[in-house]
Amino acid sequence: MRAQTLTPENLRKQFVSRAIRNIKRGYADDESGRGMFRSEIRLDLQRSRLMTESYKATEGEAMVLRRAKALANILNKMGIFIRDYERIVGYQTAEPNGIFHPIEQNWKSPQRLANSPAGKTLLDDAGRKELDELCKYWKGKSISDRHQAVLPEDLKKYWTYEGTFLWSQLSELGIPNYEKLFNLGLQGLINEIREKMARLDQKIPADYVEQKDFLTASIISLEAVINFAKRYAVLAKESAVRQKNATRKKILEEIAETCAWVPANPPRTFIEAIQFFYFIHLVRYLEYSTLGIGVRIDYLFGPYYEKDLKEGKITKEETLGILQLLWIKLNELGLVYSPTVSSVYSGVASLQAVTIGGTDEKGRDVTNDLTYLTMEAAKSLKIIEPSIALRVHEGTPDEVYSRATDVIKTGIGYPSLFNDEALIPLYERWGVPKNEAKQYAVSGCVYIEIPGKNVVRRSVGYFVLPKCLWWALHQGVNPKTGEQHGAKTPDPATFKSWEDVLEAYAEQVKFFTSKIETLERINNELLTQYAPRPFYSALLDGCIEQGKDCRRWVYNSLLHHFSQVIGGTNVADAITAIKKIVFEDRKVTLPELITIMDKNWAGREDVRLACLNAPKFGNDDDYADEIARIVQTRGEAAMEEVKDRFGHSHRGDGSAVSATYGLAADTPATPDGRFDREPFADSTLAPAPGRDKKGPTAVLKSCSKISTVNTFNHLLNQKFLPKFLEDDLKPAFLSYLKTWKKLKVPHIQFNVVDRETLLKAKAQPERYSDLIVRVAGFSAYFVDLSSGLQDHIIARTEQTLT
Amino acid sequence: MNDKEKGLIFNIQKFCVHDGPGIRTTVFMKGCPLSCPWCSNPESQNFVPEMMVRDINCRGCGACVQACPRGAITITKTAGRKINREKCDSCLSCVAACLYDSLKQCGKYLTVAKVVNEVLQDKIFYENSGGGVTLSGGEPLSQPAFAKKFLTACKKEGLHTALETSGVGSWTSMESLLPVVDLLLFDIKQLDSDKHRKTTGIKNDLILENLQKAARLGLSELWLRVPLIASFNDSENHIRQIATLGIELGAQKISLLPYHEGGKAKSKQLGKTYSYEQGKAPGENHIRKLKHLIEKEGLAVTVGN
Repeated sequence: MRAQTLTPENLRKQFVSRAIRNIKRGYADDESGRGMFRSEIRLDLQRSRLMTESYKATEGEAMVLRRAKALANILNKMGIFIRDYERIVGYQTAEPNGIFHPIEQNWKSPQRLANSPAGKTLLDDAGRKELDELCKYWKGKSISDRHQAVLPEDLKKYWTYEGTFLWSQLSELGIPNYEKLFNLGLQGLINEIREKMARLDQKIPADYVEQKDFLTASIISLEAVINFAKRYAVLAKESAVRQKNATRKKILEEIAETCAWVPANPPRTFIEAIQFFYFIHLVRYLEYSTLGIGVRIDYLFGPYYEKDLKEGKITKEETLGILQLLWIKLNELGLVYSPTVSSVYSGVASLQAVTIGGTDEKGRDVTNDLTYLTMEAAKSLKIIEPSIALRVHEGTPDEVYSRATDVIKTGIGYPSLFNDEALIPLYERWGVPKNEAKQYAVSGCVYIEIPGKNVVRRSVGYFVLPKCLWWALHQGVNPKTGEQHGAKTPDPATFKSWEDVLEAYAEQVKFFTSKIETLERINNELLTQYAPRPFYSALLDGCIEQGKDCRRWVYNSLLHHFSQVIGGTNVADAITAIKKIVFEDRKVTLPELITIMDKNWAGREDVRLACLNAPKFGNDDDYADEIARIVQTRGEAAMEEVKDRFGHSHRGDGSAVSATYGLAADTPATPDGRFDREPFADSTLAPAPGRDKKGPTAVLKSCSKISTVNTFNHLLNQKFLPKFLEDDLKPAFLSYLKTWKKLKVPHIQFNVVDRETLLKAKAQPERYSDLIVRVAGFSAYFVDLSSGLQDHIIARTEQTLT
Repeated sequence: MNDKEKGLIFNIQKFCVHDGPGIRTTVFMKGCPLSCPWCSNPESQNFVPEMMVRDINCRGCGACVQACPRGAITITKTAGRKINREKCDSCLSCVAACLYDSLKQCGKYLTVAKVVNEVLQDKIFYENSGGGVTLSGGEPLSQPAFAKKFLTACKKEGLHTALETSGVGSWTSMESLLPVVDLLLFDIKQLDSDKHRKTTGIKNDLILENLQKAARLGLSELWLRVPLIASFNDSENHIRQIATLGIELGAQKISLLPYHEGGKAKSKQLGKTYSYEQGKAPGENHIRKLKHLIEKEGLAVTVGN
C-alpha cells in the first residue's frame, strides 16, 4: 500500500484544534470574550439527541441496560463519514469540526456556555433551541442535578468552589486491556461473556439479576461497536466503487476490509491493530466522558508492525505515515468543559498522552522501531496532542535519550520523561504488585495507570495547598464573614515553632480532603447507580468474571482517586519564611506577620522582602529543602488519612494543570512573600519562579530531596534555551537527563523556547498561532492562553548555561 | 581564620559547560593583574570586594543613605540616587541595608572548606558527564595559596580539576599548582609582545614563558583559549601562529571566544567607565574560516561561551 500522500503540514490543516481557552480565572472572567473554542468548532448534538431518544424509550428498564441501549442507539444511528485522505476512520460527531457534551452528566454548563459570549459560536439558533429541548428532559435527571439534590445541608457550601478546592465532575481515567482485546477480538469477548452467563444460569446466585443485566448490557454495547465498524466498512466499500483514483480506491478497499474484520476479530496487521484501537478509544469517549489514552504504543503495536515488516507488507516510512494519521485522529477528540473548569484546563483538548519505553512485566526493556517512529511522528507534526510519556529505566538505550532530546528541542514540550526508578517503588507503596507496576502507563499529564486493571480513577478535583495554610493561619475562620469554614485549628499566637504551623496546616489539608472526598463519594454512588459503563467494564480484567460493572468494585491496589494538589512549593517556602523571620530572626511575631500579610503587605514591603529573601526551595540549600521535604510528606500523609468508599486513601497527584495560575486567584497573600492572587509555583516540584538562583543542577538536587515514595507522582517543568540541546552541548544535556534519573526525581519535561519568542508571540498572536508551550502535563498553543497565564509561563525561570 | 587564608571569590557558577569537559562548577577568583579593555567580567579585576549598583531595582527608600558612614550616597527627587565613588571606601554598609537587590556586594572572602562544599553539591553531575571543577578568575595565580589548597582538596575528593589562567603570575605559583590540575586552560591574547602591551598594559613574555614551562612539565592536559577581538588578534596569520604554537606544545584544543559586550553593563554597575566601545567580534564567516584553519592544522576547536 502506498504511503499517505499528505505532507505533515497539510495533515495539520485537516483538523481544527479542540483546545480550550481559559475564559475564567477561578470564578472571575479571564478574557471570556475571546470564546472558549475556535470559531469553527460546533457543539454536535447528535450524541445528546440519540441518547435522549433512547432514554425516553427505555424508561423502567435496568439502568445498565438503558446505558447500553443508549450507546447502541448512538453507534447505530450517528452520521458517519470518511475524509478523502483518511486511512484510519471514525469520528465522535456528525461533522469534522464537532465536539459533544455528555448531557446526562450536566446540561446546565453547556446550555449556559452556548448562550454566553464565550460559546455563542458553538451553536446556531436552531441548535440552541434543540439544546433547550434536550435539557428539559435532563432537568432533575442528570448526575449533576441528582448530586445537588442529595447533598447533606452542611456539605452544600463546599460543593461551590471558594478557593480551597474545585471538585470536578469530569476526568475519569483508565486504560483497557488492549492485549486481551487484540487476542480475542470483541466477538471472542462476547463469547467469553456468553460462557459466563451460561455458568451463571447454572448457579443463580443472590445477585443473579444484577449480574445478568450487566452481562447482557455488555454484549449489547460490544455488538453495537462491531456494527459501528461494519457501517464504516459498508461506507468505504460504496465509496471505493465510486472512486476513480486508483490509489485512493485501494485505500478505501483496505478500509472496508479492515472495518469488516476489526474490532470483531483479532487484528492481523499493524493497520488493523491501529484501527481496532481507535474504535475502542472513540467509543470509550462516547460511552462516558473521559480523558487520556495511556496506550503503550511500542509495546502494544510492536509485534504487529514487526510481523508486517518481516512479511514485506509494510515499510518504516509507511508506518510513520500511519502514525501521523493516527495523531490527526486523536486531535479530533475534545470535550466541552464548564467555563470554571477552563480555569484549570487552559489550552487542553483531551489531555491525551501515549506511553513509550519502559519495561515489560519481567523488567526487560521494550524499545523497538515504534519507540523511535512515535517520536518521529510527533516531531514531524508538532501538534499539542497526544503528549508522549517516555518511561526511562536502567536499561533504556542511549539512543532513546538522544532521539527524545531531538524532539524536545523542537519546543513541543514532550516527550516528558518518567523515571521508573522513582515511580515503581511508589506504586509498590500504593499496593500494586511489582510485576504489574512494571507495566504502568501514563494516560495524560502524570496520570499513572496499570493497563487493563479495573482502576476507574477519577481526578476528583484541584486542591489548593496554600489556601489550606492560609486557613491554618486564620483558625479556619473567614476573616471577612467570621464564618468557620475550615477546621478549627489553634490560635497562631500560641504557636511556638514552625512545626506548630505545619500541624495546623496538615489539619486543614485533612479537613478539606474529607470534604472533597465526601462530595466525590456521593458522586461515585450516583455514577454507580445512574451511569454504569457496560462497554468499558468489559474491556477491563475482572468485570466479566465477577459479573460486575467497574464502578461496583475496585482492583485491589491503592492506585485510586486523587486530587491534583497545587502550590506545595509555596507552602514549603512560606513555612520556611515563618521559621526564619518569626522564630529565628524575630523580626515580627506570627500574629503581626499575618496582619501585615492580610493587608497584602501594604506599607510593609520590608516584611514582604524579608519573607521573600528567606531561603527558598530549589537552590540545593538544605535549610529550605529539608522543610520542603517535611511539608510535602506531612501534607500527603494528612490527605491519605481520608479514605474513599472502598477504604482506599485519597491521594495527591502532581498534574497541577493550569490551576497554579487559575486557582491562585482565590488565595490571598501568603508568608512566602507572595501577593494576593499571584500565581503559585508551577507543577508540584518546581521552585517558585525566579527564586531558584543556582541553576538547573541545584533545582534537580532540591527536587531529589522530596521523597516520591512518601508523597506522590510529581511533575517538574524546566525551561531551557534551544541551543543547550544541540550540537556540542547536547552531550551535557544528555548527562543532565541521566543524572536526573539517578537522583530519582520522578518526572521532568521541558519548555524549549526563549523569552523573546514568547514576548513576541504575546504581542503578535496572529503570527505565532502554531507556537506550542508546555503548561503542566500537557502542551498548549500559546495563543490560547489568556494574557495572565502567558505571563505565568514567561515568568518561569529560564535555565541558562555558562 | 583571617581573610588571608580565605580566597576572594566573586562567583561560584554551577552547570558550566564551556570551561572544560562535561558539566562543571566554575569558581571565579577576584583580582587580576591585567586590565584588558574587552574584559567581560570587569567585576573580576579589583582585589577587594566591591559594590555593584542596579539602579533599576532602587525604590528610593533611603536605607542606603542612612547606612553610609561617609555620606557618599544622596537621593534627590530630580536626580534620583547618586553614589560618590570617591568618598566610598567600600565598607559595604549600604549593601547590608538594601532590601531590594539594588546594591550588591561583589566578592567575598571564603574558606577552602566552604567553596569545596559548594562544589561537591554537584558531584553526581560531574560523575555522569565527565565534568568537574574549574578555578578561574580574575587570576587564580594571584591567590596561589588558596588556589593550591582548594585544588588539592578537590583532587582529594576525586574531582577533575581545571585551572583557567592568563599566565600572568610567578612560575613558582604556577608550578606549585600544576600537580593538582588535570586540565590547564591557558589564555592567549596576542603573540606579538608590543601589541600585547599596548592593549593590556603588559608584555606577553612572562605569559609565553609560563606557557612553555607548563607544557614542558606535561602534568596537565592543555587547552588554549583565545578571546577573538576584531582587528586586534583575529587575522588568519595570527590564529595560524597560535595553532602552530598549540601543536608544538601538545595542546589538545583551542577555544575561540568571540568578543561580546557582557562587560559593558557591569562596568556601569561598578561605577567604571567602559573603555572599549569600539570592541567588535569578528563576523560569523570569518570565525568559521578561523575554525577551519585551526582544524586544518590538526587541532580541535570550539567556538563561543
